[in-house]
Amino acid sequence: MPNQLLNVQDLETHFRTPDGIVHAVNGVSFSLNEGETLGVVGESGCGKSVTMLSVLRLIQSPPGEIVAGKAEYLGQDLLKMSNEEIRHIRGAQISMIFQDPMTSLNPVLTIGKQLAEPLIIHMNMSQEQARDRSVELLEMVGIPNAGDRLKDYPHQYSGGMRQRVMIAMALSCNPQILIADEPTTALDVTIQAQIVELAKRLRDELGMAVIWITHDLGVVAGIAQRVFVMYGGFIIEEAYVKELYANPQHPYTIGLIGSLPRIDETERHRLYSIQGQPPVLYQKPQVCSFAPRCKFAIDKCWQENPMLDPIAPDHRVACWVDLKTGKRR
Amino acid sequence: MSKEVLLCVDKLVKHFPIYRGVFQRQVGAVHAVDGVSFNIYKGETLGLVGESGCGKSTAGRTILQLYRPTSGSVHFDGADLVALKGEELRNMRRKMQMIFQDPYASLNPRMTVGEIVGEPLMVHNVAAGKEVEERVAHLLDIVSLSAGFASRYPHEFSGGQRQRIGVARALALQPSFIVCDEPISALDVSIQAQVVNLLEDLQKEFNLTYLFIAHDLSMVRHISDRVAVMYLGIIVELADRATLYKNPLHPYTQALLSAVPIADPVAEERRRRTILEGDVPSPVNPPSGCRFRTRCPIADTICAEQIPEWREITTDHFVACHMV
Repeated sequence: MPNQLLNVQDLETHFRTPDGIVHAVNGVSFSLNEGETLGVVGESGCGKSVTMLSVLRLIQSPPGEIVAGKAEYLGQDLLKMSNEEIRHIRGAQISMIFQDPMTSLNPVLTIGKQLAEPLIIHMNMSQEQARDRSVELLEMVGIPNAGDRLKDYPHQYSGGMRQRVMIAMALSCNPQILIADEPTTALDVTIQAQIVELAKRLRDELGMAVIWITHDLGVVAGIAQRVFVMYGGFIIEEAYVKELYANPQHPYTIGLIGSLPRIDETERHRLYSIQGQPPVLYQKPQVCSFAPRCKFAIDKCWQENPMLDPIAPDHRVACWVDLKTGKRR
Repeated sequence: MSKEVLLCVDKLVKHFPIYRGVFQRQVGAVHAVDGVSFNIYKGETLGLVGESGCGKSTAGRTILQLYRPTSGSVHFDGADLVALKGEELRNMRRKMQMIFQDPYASLNPRMTVGEIVGEPLMVHNVAAGKEVEERVAHLLDIVSLSAGFASRYPHEFSGGQRQRIGVARALALQPSFIVCDEPISALDVSIQAQVVNLLEDLQKEFNLTYLFIAHDLSMVRHISDRVAVMYLGIIVELADRATLYKNPLHPYTQALLSAVPIADPVAEERRRRTILEGDVPSPVNPPSGCRFRTRCPIADTICAEQIPEWREITTDHFVACHMV
């Protein structure tokens, strides 16, 4: 049995807005084991980023508020820690990289200065030690002339290189967990391939666990071992990656996979399209939030929200309908 | 498919000058599009793919004369668009329209949907008064929006719905040619399929010809009949979709295809990848000879010296590479 690093139970996060309370995350539970790569898939607004930001307590409050649940890292509840305690976890034990590397880097500080900062704060390094380690980190993520490039500012780096710097910074304190929030969405495909390969190599070399948040089912297929799919603030399906793609059980997952054209498709066929729009979360959903868009919906779907229940070992689905029979499972 | 040429682009060039200093002297130019030539046949979809900054959007806009080209010609419907001006060009614009990438930025927030979709009809004096309303209602119906939406404002709609409004506006003047500039890349996955299916249906119904500009190679493969691959201002390869994806000849096309992730973990495991080193060079100062040579895994000395010729290797399969 591998060691469990992170155990999140019934996490709920709200945002108070002038128009009402947005129920962004509505009771999400998952765990992450040592050295494992977990893919989190969903469309914009499904709560995938907010879930991970909540775990690290990076939700701005107000308007955000974590209203329920716990998030245990090696047995300690991150949600109950003091600000001082969580600061020692963030960046050192669990670090995060974001979608847009330009807005995540400070434009008026050199790359060297920004790389050294976490090393000095978390690892108590001296200026010289931090500098040497920064060069080492930049070389590790494949930036040529690392020593000279420390003096450069973020705008002198290209998009792909900035994301490499972000990765170097996130890995600087040897974290146990790396949370990557759509790290390749802003990049071109050839650069995306570089970054995904880099992340895989570093993961294997350093043995850390990775949570990879994305809307791209293709990227997840190549990097994750286990995947969960989110919709309307809930996890609606969770399985090992091969099982999920070969045998998707939730109508939303099936729709998502079907709506993607494949680069290796041989015949042209009409894309499967899910009708309608994702839900607006001003109320906590009492019934299945996918029901209005679901072709398989039965009466039960409009009465009660399904729980995420196992249908096979390591495969959990939140759906009332058994798709083979079209009846309640 | 008939092989009637609708649009013929010949050696199209678009440079954007760079001015510097107190006297604003021109110190250089961004070579956004640097001599592209291709035909678009009636009723087909030509996909134009490439990474950001390769000039694909500029090419689309220059074809429609939204940017006036630096040199080259664009023959459409018997006329050279580059030579047309004023009223003549305006009349031509009825037949060619554009759908933009960002459905949030391309609709005026202060105009109602009815005004947005009806504006081209009034500008071109095609309809007036009550008839505009009727036409707008019909256009909204074509893109599966309710006619009641005409009095509402763009902010009340989701991204997918806004893109439908953009499509309705493009269809208002019954064009024969539409440039779709990354029409789906700002949309969520499940909404992308809705818009792509709509574009395909409209093409069949109204016999439209599309230039479909995108960076998503899987989507381009899905929607296009033929595909052109662009790199740093030039087209490096052009072929029908089956040939291009099965037998790509240019090393850039090969690398681009191998970089696309497949939504299938089993196929992902079996794949061998060519991963390109480095980034796209600056279009202000593109490399000599072949533009791809700085990242090319098979580049030789000739690649730095001579610009590769645009050759037809097999019927309708064009490529610009010394090594093929």
